Amino acid sequence: MLLEEVEYVRPTNLEDALAVLADVDGAAPLAGGQSLVNVLKNRVASVDLLVDISRLAELRTIKRTPGGGLDVGACVTYDELDRSPLVRESHFTLGEVAAHIEDQQIRNKGTIGGNCCLSDPTNNLPPILVALDAVMNLRSTSARRSVQAAEFFKGYFATALESGELLVSVTVPPMPARSGAGYASLLVAADAKAMARAAAWIQLGTGGLTITSARVALARVANVPVRDAGVEARLVGAEASDAAVRDACSVAAEGLRPIDDVHGSSHYRLEMARVMAHRAVMQAVDQATAGRNGSESARRGGRA
Amino acid sequence: MTITKGPGTEQAIRTWSGRSIPRKEDARLVKGQGSFVDDGGVQGQGFAWFVRSPHAHARIVSIDCAPALEMEGVYAVLTGEEARQQCETPFFAIAPPPGSLMAEWPLAVGKVRYQGDAVAVVLAESRETARDAAERVFVEYEPLPAVVDTVAAADPTTPLLYDDAGTNVVWRGVFDYGDVDWALENADHVVKIDRLHFHRFTSAPLECNGAVVDYDLGTGVVNVMSNYQMPMFASMVIGPTIGVPINKFNFVTKDIGGAFGIKIGFFAQIAALALLSKKAGRAVKWTEYRTEHMLTAGHGNERTFLDIEVPVMSDGTILGVKVRAFDDAGAYLHYEPLGAVIWSQVVPGCYKLKHVRVDYTEVVTNKCPTVPNRGYSRMQHLWMIERIIDIVAKELRLDPVDVRKTNYVQPEDYPYRTPNDCVYDSGDLPRSLDIALELAHAEEWRARQRELGTGSGRRIGIGIGSTLDSGTNNFGQSRIINPDLPFSGNGEAAIVKLDLFGEVNVNIGTTPQGQGHETTAAQVTADILGIAPDMVTVSTGFNQANNSYVGFSGTYASQFAVSGLGAVMGAAEKLRHQIVKLAAYALRAAEEEIDVSDGFARVRGDENRAIPFIGLANMVYANNAGLPAELLSEVDLNARYVYVPPFEVPDPVTKTGNLTLTYASQVHVCVVEVDEETGEVTLLEYAAVDDCGRRINPMIVEGQVHGATGLGIAAALYESLDYDASGQLQQPSFYEYHAATALDIPHVDCGSIESASPFTPNGAKGMGEGGGAPLHAVCSAIQDAVGGDGPVVADSHNHWARVHELLHRDPTASRGVAVTSREGPPRVAQS
Ligand SMILES: Cc1cc2nc3c(=O)[nH]c(=O)nc-3n(C[C@H](O)[C@H](O)[C@H](O)COP(=O)(O)OP(=O)(O)OC[C@H]3O[C@@H](n4cnc5c(N)ncnc54)[C@H](O)[C@@H]3O)c2cc1C
Repeated sequence: MLLEEVEYVRPTNLEDALAVLADVDGAAPLAGGQSLVNVLKNRVASVDLLVDISRLAELRTIKRTPGGGLDVGACVTYDELDRSPLVRESHFTLGEVAAHIEDQQIRNKGTIGGNCCLSDPTNNLPPILVALDAVMNLRSTSARRSVQAAEFFKGYFATALESGELLVSVTVPPMPARSGAGYASLLVAADAKAMARAAAWIQLGTGGLTITSARVALARVANVPVRDAGVEARLVGAEASDAAVRDACSVAAEGLRPIDDVHGSSHYRLEMARVMAHRAVMQAVDQATAGRNGSESARRGGRA
Repeated sequence: MTITKGPGTEQAIRTWSGRSIPRKEDARLVKGQGSFVDDGGVQGQGFAWFVRSPHAHARIVSIDCAPALEMEGVYAVLTGEEARQQCETPFFAIAPPPGSLMAEWPLAVGKVRYQGDAVAVVLAESRETARDAAERVFVEYEPLPAVVDTVAAADPTTPLLYDDAGTNVVWRGVFDYGDVDWALENADHVVKIDRLHFHRFTSAPLECNGAVVDYDLGTGVVNVMSNYQMPMFASMVIGPTIGVPINKFNFVTKDIGGAFGIKIGFFAQIAALALLSKKAGRAVKWTEYRTEHMLTAGHGNERTFLDIEVPVMSDGTILGVKVRAFDDAGAYLHYEPLGAVIWSQVVPGCYKLKHVRVDYTEVVTNKCPTVPNRGYSRMQHLWMIERIIDIVAKELRLDPVDVRKTNYVQPEDYPYRTPNDCVYDSGDLPRSLDIALELAHAEEWRARQRELGTGSGRRIGIGIGSTLDSGTNNFGQSRIINPDLPFSGNGEAAIVKLDLFGEVNVNIGTTPQGQGHETTAAQVTADILGIAPDMVTVSTGFNQANNSYVGFSGTYASQFAVSGLGAVMGAAEKLRHQIVKLAAYALRAAEEEIDVSDGFARVRGDENRAIPFIGLANMVYANNAGLPAELLSEVDLNARYVYVPPFEVPDPVTKTGNLTLTYASQVHVCVVEVDEETGEVTLLEYAAVDDCGRRINPMIVEGQVHGATGLGIAAALYESLDYDASGQLQQPSFYEYHAATALDIPHVDCGSIESASPFTPNGAKGMGEGGGAPLHAVCSAIQDAVGGDGPVVADSHNHWARVHELLHRDPTASRGVAVTSREGPPRVAQS
């Protein structure tokens, strides 16, 4: 598949990039290019001007926020997330998810911003960012605004971004003591597409036995990650035990109708959503119990 | 695995065959210095792009090429109808009627028969322009109902792909050996399996198809530089169609990035490109893209087995099998219906089944044409046999190891004559199985399996796949399909030449795609000429101009070690003979006194009387005045030899005869863990024992084993090509088709035994295809994990959802199998 002729610019700073995007009709940001270029080659979309933002220094940093959270530039690559001590120290699971997105070549190029702005339901990062309650920071030539991750993903290839707007960074809140994150996917094969996926964040009470707060995001049951209020409500106040969590997760994805395809029926996927929710929450419990970085087993269990 | 150091360090060693010397071709391949089809090109060439149908089945109402031709840089557009007008006859048909009435032309004529069928081809100054122009060839289609179900395709009420043929059935034949009715009547038990299905997949070669075709209008020579793997087959099939005699084709191949049989399929594209080149008066270059490859290059055969009946005695002796098989050829017959006989090279599998009846029907459907895919046609049948063995063991509560050992052809039985008169040359299956079980620690895993019990959410399964890789075809088997075909036997040609400065050069008619022909050909040549493999240059690939080919030349069907190396050895012997003759003259000695070693011919026992190869070559090529005419008539230092395996013509009436020369065997054992909640399968252990007779280069053999193992595991768990009801392929790219990567394939423990073939020049057997053993083994392991009362693993592809279904099937639903047992005391099997 071949690219149609397309113009290309590489602005040297963010202001210029925003200006070009605002001025030129048919301009689109190019980050890692791992989806956009393929889409263009397949000729399912067309762009007149590619605005390469992948090397903008302003978008490539990972910073610690005052409370212990993270501020990740939109053009930070998966490989950088994976290898960042800062990320691993406070948000182990986020690094682990990035470490298992497809293959090394894609991890070298693909960016957190691109992964989110594409809003492909099979992409790995959106559900974990929703579970971690991340905030997406957007900018245009004239304005800045922030949107909760759960509000950012609007549909299949659709986000809250308006024309001329860029995602500049993602702010991930700190992980308080006795909180933990988990992520479970049912993959077609190693590091491949997911058929079912869940990301979870939970907070344990001071005794460490009860879940006091929970966020569970399911992917692949709809076109965007879905916060499962039913499961979350059942988790809050529940004992952090396998049986109680399994019970809470048994209602996951209620009322949703995942797609049918060659990898599995809608019914199978629904059942798998429950299995993944259970596994993700248990991982989160394990991490919360073991401390900030999670136990060895939580790490190894953290298959992306 | 041990790798021997380079020859420079071990000058003293005289025998190079049998040693794992590093591959000669690897240095250039790992340094990016290989030369593949897309690296090539011709002055003034244009770039071709095929216009392909989005519909599975449709009538072509009209084609408007004008908007494409108006574009700048577009040289020509060739449509199907225009191509047909230039052709004398459709492509050569292997099938008798009705299959022969399913005519194929270089491009679709009148209607399209599968998604991706080529209706026209555009030539332009760049690939980009060609592709843009292809979007401006406007084709109006009138969609027709798609035929996608293999078994339903044979039903007379199903719509037809080819009106002229009056049926979708390409070929039907009953293969009836022994007396299966008697066996079913007299067996202690009859195990009946409703349905087994072998799925469609591809070997997904890293390099897609490609060709640079230059129709030289001056000389009429059609130069085809391509990665096509069976060049003479293409010339024979397309030559009469496009009116080009064999001696006006010049097929050339270079490095090839994997072929697996898939690259036998694109002769139609080559024919279309030749006509396009002729029309445009310039060379055309075509490089296939991945989606185009997935949609159109060819898939492996999909086969459905129905109403399987297996007569079994109480001691576990299996008497035979009765089955109806439906094979799906896809939309065009690109090598089919040869597959309808090729499976019968292995009628009883690895076992002494005596009574076999296979009612075989091959149909066309609106899907991509099937082409020989690694393990071609035998793999499907062998998979069914292995499924039967496990299902019999499960249903009769027998140990699958015992059932195999009871029924295997035993070491003392070789040469073993199968019910259809094929001759299994050698082997030791029970020992292969023992080694594989040990390598996979099967006993320990059995214990773990018991320990684990129920309730852990995980299950362990141990699986066995015993299989055969039949190699070196007797093309006479094609007459079982069509008695009028003028084919039988097989062969390969090689030229070994001593060049002007004493260099040794080898040309072969093969088209290696990673099998290391340059290395093994150098090893056997080195042994015969008393030099090191480093001193032998083996030309890469096929070149018609070299004249080292016969009608069967190419690389396919597990035969190089026998036919390719047989030819090389014969030619090297001939050259050695000439060297001796010439040296005897030069050194004034008797021929019996001449030794050939280290690049010299010497008089035995007399150090001072020796002549180097360069001296001998000089005498013939550049300094020949005064040489006796008689000597010159016998010595040209350019030895051509054609190896012809010993075959008789099979009997088309009884469908019997020796269909292949060698039978390599593979026994694989794997251990899987199955996640009860999800159906996910993880391979915990994998062992592969290969017996391919004498190994010329064990490292290369092991490489082939690894490749075939990866491929089979991938097919069993990850790779499948499925069509929806409208005939749309569901996995047209690597987004949907998960071609397995290194992460998916476990460590493979390789074992080997060497049961030399008594029938081949070097004791070797072909082994590259591998017989699909991982498909058998993985399915067997999943069956083991599903357990005794569970349903039958009835599909060769088991993605997680399918395994989940096997584990959680409604207990009242059919398990797909039933056993009827005879009253009365058990009888002993009649042998
Ligand atoms: C074979 C293959 C398999 C893959 N499998 C997976 C998988 O299993 N899971 C997974 O998560 N991903 C997968 N990917 C996709 C990969 O992760 C992409 O990198 C990702 O989808 C897009 O990120 P990118 O940085 O490459 O963005 P690009 O491709 O450059 O851009 C993607 C889209 O986002 C827009 N965009 C990018 N950055 C911004 C920004 N800062 N602000 C506004 N808009 C922006 C672009 O205009 C474009 O529309 C796969 C890719 C390939 C090639």
